Formats: sequence, C-alpha cells, structure tokens
Amino acid sequence: MNWIRGAWAVFRKDLRTELRSRYAVNVLLMFVLSALLLVLFAIGQESVSERVQSALLWIVILFSASIGLGRSFISEEETGTMLLLQLNTRASMVFAGKLLYTLLLVLGLNTVAVLVFLIVLGIPVRSPGLLAATLALGALGLSGATTLLAALIARAARSGPLLPVLLLPLLVPLLLSVVTATRKAILGAGWAAAETELLTLVGFAGATISAATLLFDYVWMD
Amino acid sequence: MATSTSRAPDASSALVGSRLYTAVRAFVVLTLTYVIIAGLLGSIPQLSILEETARNLYFHVPMWFSLMGLTVVSAYHSLRFLQTGDLLRDVRAREAARVGMLFGIIGITTGMMWARFTWYEGTNKWWNFDPKQSMAAILLLIYGAYFVLRSGIDIAEKRGRIAAVYNLFAVVTMPFLLYVLPRQMDSLHPGAEGSPTFSQTDLAPAMRWIFYPAVLGFFGLAWWIYTQRVRVAWLEDDARDEPDL
Repeated sequence: MNWIRGAWAVFRKDLRTELRSRYAVNVLLMFVLSALLLVLFAIGQESVSERVQSALLWIVILFSASIGLGRSFISEEETGTMLLLQLNTRASMVFAGKLLYTLLLVLGLNTVAVLVFLIVLGIPVRSPGLLAATLALGALGLSGATTLLAALIARAARSGPLLPVLLLPLLVPLLLSVVTATRKAILGAGWAAAETELLTLVGFAGATISAATLLFDYVWMD
Repeated sequence: MATSTSRAPDASSALVGSRLYTAVRAFVVLTLTYVIIAGLLGSIPQLSILEETARNLYFHVPMWFSLMGLTVVSAYHSLRFLQTGDLLRDVRAREAARVGMLFGIIGITTGMMWARFTWYEGTNKWWNFDPKQSMAAILLLIYGAYFVLRSGIDIAEKRGRIAAVYNLFAVVTMPFLLYVLPRQMDSLHPGAEGSPTFSQTDLAPAMRWIFYPAVLGFFGLAWWIYTQRVRVAWLEDDARDEPDL
C-alpha cells in the first residue's frame, strides 16, 4: 500500500504545481490548437480522404505531445527538487506518478484535438466507441514512451528540442496503428475490423511501459 | 601519462585475441573474394523480371542480417554496461551501432536499386513505401537519434548510462517495426502476408553455394570492422592524459 500511496503523492504533487501555474497545460493547448488550425486552413475547402484526415490529426497530436510533454523532469531539475524526490521516494513510485500525470495530460490533449478536428471539419464518426478506445490506447502508449524519454533528456546537458528527435522514430508503430484504427472508426467499420490495430496498440503500450519501468531506475539514480 | 605507462604496451590486443583476429581476417578476405567473383560471374536461374538482378541477393540480404546481428550486439553491450558500469561496454555498444548504421545504409541503397529495376521497372520510382523498406529507414532514424543523444551529454559515465537506456528502449519497439507491422501490410518482399521470412524454396540450390558463404563473409566483415573500431577507440582514449577506460 505504501508504494501506491507514494506514487499517488507524486501524481498529486505534479497536478497541484501544474494547477498553480497552468504552464504546461496552456503550452500544450495552444500548440495543439494552433497546429490544428494551421492544418485546417492549409486544407481549406478541399475534401480529404479519411486516411489523410486521421493521419493529419495524429501527426498534430504526436508533435504536440513531443514538444509539450518534455518538461515534467526538467522542471524538477530546474527547481532543485530532484534530490528531495530521490531521497524520499523509490524510483518506481516517481515513474508511476509521472506516468499517471502524463497520461492525464495526453488524454486531455487527445480529447481536445479530436473534438476540434471533428467539429471544424464536420466529420461524422460512425463508430464513436472504437474512436474512444483508439484514443485511450494511443494515449497509453504515447505516455509510457514520453515519460521515460522526458527523464532521459532532463539528464542531457543540451536538452533543447531533443525530445521530438528521440521520440518520433520510436512512435512509428503507434502512429501507423492509430491512424488505421481512427480511419476505420470514422468509416464505421466496427470493432472486429480494427482488431489487429487494437491488439498492436495494446502490445505496444504493454511493451513500452514494462520496458520503461525496468529502465527508469538507471535514469533516476546518479 | 602515469596510468598509461603502467599498462602492458599491447593491452589493446587483449580486446580481441590476435589469433582469432588473423583467422577471421583471412576467412573474410577469402570468402568475400569468392563471393564477389562467383556472385558476379556464376550462373543463376533466369527468372522473368528478376533476371540478372538476382545477384543482388548475395549483397543486399547479408547487409540486413549483419545489421540485425550488430543491433543485438549493441543492445547486449548496453545491457551489460548498465549492469557493470564498465565504460568499454559503452564503447562496444556505440561502435556496434555505428557499424550497424553503415551496413543499414548500404542495405537500403542496394535495396532501392534492386527495387527500382524490378518492382518499379518503368515507373521511375526509387521509393514506394514498401513496409520493410520504410521500417528499415525508421531503424536508421532511431540510431541517428541515439547518436544525437550521445552528443548532448558530456560526462562519459552519464552518457553511457543514458544512451544505453535509450538503446534498450528502442530495441523493445523494434519487433513492432520489423515483424508486427510489415506483416499487416502488403509487401513485395518475401516473407510478407504472414508467411515466415525467406523460405527455403525461394532460393535456387546453385545460389545457396554463394549465398551462405556471403552471409558468413559479411558477418565476418562486420565483426572485423567493429572490433577494429573498438580498438581504435581504446587507443585514442589511452592516448589522452586521463583515460576513461
């Protein structure tokens, strides 16, 4: 029970400091909105196929996440709270707490991005349940990889725009599956048709989160 | 300099047994000479579309086998580095990744040329998003990111640890890139659509006598370049005032 309480405390700490300044949330929100609107203006009145629609949506989501989510560990390093966390909690608690916090942010990001996209383009979604499942599984895989890599770049001296470079090639399997699943959801293909993609997403999220949990110890300790 | 003089002068040869090195070098020189001559001049079955380009099999496919081998070597040394903290392991992981990238770039180039004159003959296309081709390009991007990450960290021990974590994390996603996704898509590569890779029936008996030596020869070449690069890195480090290794 101690472990769960520790992880929950890390999550609450992150959430509370975020709610005080709302910096990361606002950056993420503004980035996803401006990127989406740029994409929508660039398309104009042109009607694009479902494949291109879902591809554009997910590219915006992945780029927003890779730019907006790199701060969670850098801010610990900047404010000097890293040492306190290292002393008072175990590495796996920190990872679980940060993962939960990132997952919350990514779920919010996905919801906003999808709602804006669907409303502005006026796309009717024929399988909303499938779309929700795709968004949730995509968020799970995305947050697992992002949390570990955010911890990695916080350790690099010249971190700058390093997260997108490290993250995007690793997310190609995720991108391909979510794009296909989103397209099937828009077309109304149903659950059975998207089985392969959903299973791949579950596998990807499981593999990345387990690997990240094991590897996080080596990033966290000095 | 005190530390470097205290070591045996030929300490770098301890990295690779010199007898093993000589044996592999002789094997590589002989085998690859045979493969190049027999591969370019030997007789092959004339199949439509493939025709003489089938000879590329001896060069294109071993590149990918060697890349896979070096990926495993690099990941293994990254894992050992995390366990032991021995910086030589980090050098090995780095050099295996670098040689792997070289083989990958040659593999992708030979693959593009092969595809250009068989699958896409008459279309003038060099790149047509064949799944395996695209995934191979992504694999090279991941190794590119690995080296970018390395250049962002100055302290050797920390760099080794962070790079090893990224390397191992990337290895976890590689099965999706190389095995899961390509089988869900249409591909012209052998081994697509759920069938296991490269089957025995794909290869004419006469070609096996050149293909198998080619695979072994290029494995040997990869090992040769890799061990030499590790030795050079070791010597460069040893020449510094305060060696890390």
